Parts: sequence; C-alpha cells; structure tokens
Amino acid sequence: MKPQGPFLTLVSGLVLTAVLGVLSVSTAPEADTVAVAEGEPAAAARTGAAVPGPTVTAQTVPGPTGTAEAEPADTTPKRADYAGVAQGNGGLVAVSIKNGKAVAYFCDGRVEAWLKGTAENNTVTLTGKNDSLITAALGDGKAQGKLQVGKGKWRFTAPLVKKPSGLYRAVATVRGARLVGGWIVLPSGRQVGLVAADGSSSRAPELTPGSPVTVDGAELRPEDTDAFIDRF
Amino acid sequence: MTIPQPAMPAAEKRGAAPWLVPLLAGGFVAVVLGVYGRAHTPTGFAVGLSGFSGAQAMKSWLATGTFLLAIVQVVSAMAMYGKLRGVRAPSWTATLHRWSGRTAFLLSVPVAFHCLYALGAQFDVPRVLVHSLLGTFFYGVFVAKMLSLPKRDLPGWTLPVLGGLLFTTLTGLWLTSSFWFFTTFGIAL
Repeated sequence: MKPQGPFLTLVSGLVLTAVLGVLSVSTAPEADTVAVAEGEPAAAARTGAAVPGPTVTAQTVPGPTGTAEAEPADTTPKRADYAGVAQGNGGLVAVSIKNGKAVAYFCDGRVEAWLKGTAENNTVTLTGKNDSLITAALGDGKAQGKLQVGKGKWRFTAPLVKKPSGLYRAVATVRGARLVGGWIVLPSGRQVGLVAADGSSSRAPELTPGSPVTVDGAELRPEDTDAFIDRF
Repeated sequence: MTIPQPAMPAAEKRGAAPWLVPLLAGGFVAVVLGVYGRAHTPTGFAVGLSGFSGAQAMKSWLATGTFLLAIVQVVSAMAMYGKLRGVRAPSWTATLHRWSGRTAFLLSVPVAFHCLYALGAQFDVPRVLVHSLLGTFFYGVFVAKMLSLPKRDLPGWTLPVLGGLLFTTLTGLWLTSSFWFFTTFGIAL
C-alpha cells in the first residue's frame, strides 16, 4: 500500500466538502440568501432561540427600527404561505395567513396537528388540539419559530412558498365517517400527508396539487389555503 | 535505566507517540464538527445529488450505500485477518477493502455535509441527539484510522478496534437516520 493513500482519501473528502460548500452558497434559495446576507442580526436571533429555558415566545425580530416608535403600522403580510421543515423532527410545517388570521398544519407522516390563530405585529400564534402550539416571527421572507405538538417541541424555519407548494386540506364524509386530509408540499417536491378518520389516521395518498385523490374508494378534493382558510 | 538496553528506547518511543497524532487529529476533527454544527446558523438548504424526491431521501439512500459498503469493509477485513473460517483471503481482498472504504467515505460526505451545513447539531429529541453525537464521533474515528494506517509501529489491534468502532458508529448513524426515514416516510427514492 502506498503510504499516502489514506491521506489522499482524507484530502478527497475535504475537496468534496469544499465543492459542496461553494455550490451550496452559490445556489442558496432567495429566502436563505437574505438570512445569510443579514449576518449578525439573524445569527443573534438564532442564538437567542437556541438558549433553552423558560419558553421563549417567538423571537420576534422587529424589522428595520428606522422610525422607532413613531408609527406602529403593522407590517404583517396580508396574505402569505410558509412551508418548511421542523428541525430535529423532519416533519413538515406549513403556516398560512390571511388578513390577520393564521392556520397551520404540522405533519411528520405519523403525527399531525391542525392549528388556528392570529397574525399580528409580524408574529403568528396558533393553537390546536393535543396541546399543539406554534409561535413564529415573520420576516425576511420566512416564518421562524417554535412548534409544540403533544410532548414534542421543535424549532422550524419555513420560507415563503408559492402554489403549487404549500398547504392543502380536504374534508369529506365517507360512509358516515368524517375524513380530514392534510398535505404539505415543499418547493423541492417533497410532501407529507395524513388522512384522519374519526380519531385514527393513515398515510395520505400522494397529492398532485389540483387533482383529486382517492381514499377508501372515496374521492377527496384537496383545496389550497385560498379556498379553505376563511372556513377553517 | 542506566544500563544501555537497545530495546528499551524503541519500546518507550512506541509508548505514546504513535498514538498521539492520529488520536489528537481525530479528536480535533470530532470537536470541530460538533462545534460547527452547534454554533453556525443552519441554512436549511444544501446542494446534494439530484434525482431524489428530497434531501432526506437522498441522504437516506447515500447512507444506506455507505452502510452496505461498510459491511463489505467488515467482511473483507475479517478475511484479511484470517477470521473467516475456511476462507483464504483472495489476493484482491486488500484492493476491495481499500476501494469499498473510499467509496463508502465519499458517499457519506454529501450526507454529513447536508446534516451539518443545512441542519446543524440538534439535541431536541433523542434520535437526533444520538445521531448528532455519533456523526461527529464517526469522522473523528475515521480520521484517526486513516492516520493510523500508514504507521507501522502501532499494536496489531489498532486497526481492528478503530474499524470496529467505525462500523458500530455507522450502524447507529444508519439506524437513527435512514432506517428511521424509511420506516416513517416509507421506502421511496
């Protein structure tokens, strides 16, 4: 064996890492580029969020504090859809807001939670069954905050998404049972979904946004947030 | 010690020095990876191989490839050490061991890169905690093993121990990532 073989192995690993690093930085999506460009404040906010301790409620990063307290104009988006990954869980989170109302869905393929709440002062606060709670700060093209479902707690960062990515919901009554299906579709194409029927839930069939899906022989028509947020 | 004994200085030299560089370098790498994973802001995004439904699917399959090659590693190593009964290691066993190892390592790099760059070390749930710790440990041991390979003055059990540690750690990593992914989201590309 040539003695330098193992060194070459290590060096090739380093080179591959460097290539991946350069490519990742140069192809980062818009929302993340903003966060990176912002540097200090974003990092500071994240460090704050990382400190464990008494529930840190939504690390609201107030936008540019140029005008200080002069005008309390609420810059919360009127209509926005966010979707991303729950860190440390791998499940997906979607938050949608419309005129101060917020709905959210969390799903990791086994556990799901529908949440409802408000959006104001660039902060969303939502609650749902099973002690689920979401608090997140809106800004820089993303929703960033904390998610709690049952005993699980995760942080998440959900960038703004556009159709066909985002949140979908279908409700139907099949042979007397109420079916509620939820799906989250990410821009990468990754999706997760569950169909709940009277307390038990099962994996939802893959969703092609805009097309109906068949569950137990019944047809469900998943709707995007625009369609269901007012009724939710 | 006053009586000159030719064997002693060599034995003393063998005492700690040969271990020093590989283990220190390995420990350094493990700590640096852990600190990086904890300190930097996860980007939530990293490049990877295309052709998969998502980053997690890509990582799960690459990690599975690494894991399968790691099994080749253990079997070929056992053959070389004469631990497989009735099997005489063919002449190409060393080449197989070397190249399966290199391939396994290179397959693992994009996975670890995505973990550390996009997600960071997280301690929120036991699975992720274990995975984060094992992941940083794995590359520390790997560096230690690579740096031990060219050294001829290490005890014979050095490489089996380091190799065994690598395989054990990798098994834990695979169980806490790919296996979890496949059983949670289903086996899909």
